[in-house]
Amino acid sequence: MDSLCVKQSRGLAKITFVILILTAAAPAARSARLVTDQTGRRVEVPDRPARIVSLGPGITETLFLLGLGDRVVGVTDSCEYPPEAKLKPSVGSTLSPSIERIIVLKPDLVLGTPQANRRETADQLARLGIPLYGVTAGTVEGMLASTSELGHVLGHDAEAERVVHQLQARLDAISRRVAGRKPPRVLFVVWYRPLMTAGSQTFLSDVIRRAGGDPIGANLSGEWPRLSVEELLRLQPDVILFPETQSFAPKLDEFRSLAGWRDLRAVKEGRIYFISDTIVRSSPRLIDALEEIARLLHPEATPVEESGR
Amino acid sequence: MMIPATRRNVLLLTSALALGLVLVSLVALSLGSVPMGYGEVWAALRGSSERSDLAVIVREIRLPRVLLAILVGAALSTSGTALQALLRNPLAEPYVLGISSGAALGAIVALWIGGSIATMSPLAAFLGALATTAWVYLLGRRAGRLASYTLVLAGVVTASFLSAAILFVLTMLSTRDVRGMAFWLMGDLSVVTNTELRVLFPVVIVGFLFVYAFSKDLNVLLLGEEEAAHLGVNVVRAQTMIYLLASAMTGVAVALSGAIGYLGLLVPHLARMLVGNDHRTLLPVAALGGSIVLVLSDTLARTVVAPNELPVGAVTAVAGAPVFIYLLRRTAG
Repeated sequence: MDSLCVKQSRGLAKITFVILILTAAAPAARSARLVTDQTGRRVEVPDRPARIVSLGPGITETLFLLGLGDRVVGVTDSCEYPPEAKLKPSVGSTLSPSIERIIVLKPDLVLGTPQANRRETADQLARLGIPLYGVTAGTVEGMLASTSELGHVLGHDAEAERVVHQLQARLDAISRRVAGRKPPRVLFVVWYRPLMTAGSQTFLSDVIRRAGGDPIGANLSGEWPRLSVEELLRLQPDVILFPETQSFAPKLDEFRSLAGWRDLRAVKEGRIYFISDTIVRSSPRLIDALEEIARLLHPEATPVEESGR
Repeated sequence: MMIPATRRNVLLLTSALALGLVLVSLVALSLGSVPMGYGEVWAALRGSSERSDLAVIVREIRLPRVLLAILVGAALSTSGTALQALLRNPLAEPYVLGISSGAALGAIVALWIGGSIATMSPLAAFLGALATTAWVYLLGRRAGRLASYTLVLAGVVTASFLSAAILFVLTMLSTRDVRGMAFWLMGDLSVVTNTELRVLFPVVIVGFLFVYAFSKDLNVLLLGEEEAAHLGVNVVRAQTMIYLLASAMTGVAVALSGAIGYLGLLVPHLARMLVGNDHRTLLPVAALGGSIVLVLSDTLARTVVAPNELPVGAVTAVAGAPVFIYLLRRTAG
């Protein structure tokens, strides 16, 4: 009986403690709650964040898609989509954003992602008491989950549900289309000098699998396995994909004529493509890239009315 | 030019440079990706600012950074000055002796095992610097005393070995850690905690005072070890102490700021041209000069491409290498 009392009073103490923490931490005017963000950090998020700084292009895209564009007060130099995002004040690059600019924007919430930002930025924001909610997704499914979770945290559940529902429907349509077809072996070129591709645990490999392809990097070791041209000739991928980024200065024609490359079956058959660089970031537009890749990998499976899209 | 090291001269020079440092620091505090007037900076420092955001920027972002630049600049420059005299080698500096590479390897291994640059790495970097220091010291000893050329060569070879090891570990790190590491390797003053400043401050001040206590010995050591011994200097003790002090200062500085090149080489030489070879004046001038140069470099690093930042090590190297070559040609001719 005694021990029960102790337990009860302990429980009571715990509750009081939690209430104390919550009330102590909450700013006078607005209420906030303690949540665990997608990277496992504990962060105090205001109930209706009104001034949001986004530290990643994927996050910015998601915010605008969820109808939260008007609450975004700061973005990075890489945030170029949607075009309205470019009108927002920039805090610098994703890798070294200006903490000073962030402070002056007086955000009540900063959104960042370990995929684009440095840990030092997160630590610095934490020291300054600026809440940083970390967004992360390792797979396509994860991106959908991350989007709906973000919508929930920001109090836009309905919009998030609608957006995710649409994306899921498009994803299902792709799955149906490519189901049962033999997946071509795909080389996704992450970097060409040295030649690097995406390993099995990466986002990119998941995207390629979902688009009905078999990423050849998945059978190699490492996160970003390197390949020699010799190895490439041995592996003979069916399709070669390049992201359409500025970094790939040499044009497709140059790759076609490079020693070794010109002997690849995929090059001879013309199955070497530039694809939209939306594939490299985790954002809802990823589904666009997925549809594009599915069309390239399985042209015969694509409905005629869609192939021109 | 040679300024006699009377107490009055040392005091005058030191006060003038200290005043210069204060002015440069005030300029540094007012510049950044958020423009601010001196009035605003002053108000923020005194805590009477009406804008809390600007006060936070001045007190929590820029001030720790300027203080870090002051301390690191003084540490690297003092170490460089002392090592150049000790080893009678104009190229001697903490980096040439492999100390910074040791620190870098320590930091990167900590990152590899699973720490973050902000928490675990400074300690690991310091341990790396310490281990390298001991190793190079053992290699550089000949018959109980430090042999200058052996020590420098041991340092150079150790440094290149460690650099190779760093490259090896870099290939093992994940992309995200490599990015953070790359910033650190190029010298980065942007992240410092108050705790770290509280450690750095006494190390640099005490380190400097100890080295300064050896300034007469350093003067005599410039003549040569035999001569110094004849003149009553305990050569082994002086060499060991100065070498260890310089290494400790560098180790702590590198641990918190990464690899900032050229400072420990260039500033001592500039100071020597200004006041001559008497370490009683040279050491304080070099220390304060190092602080001024690093505060200026860091201010450039964070303003020229604002809101983005250049690594401060890139600024000191880009500015330092041509100046050094100029000095070299001038002295050689």
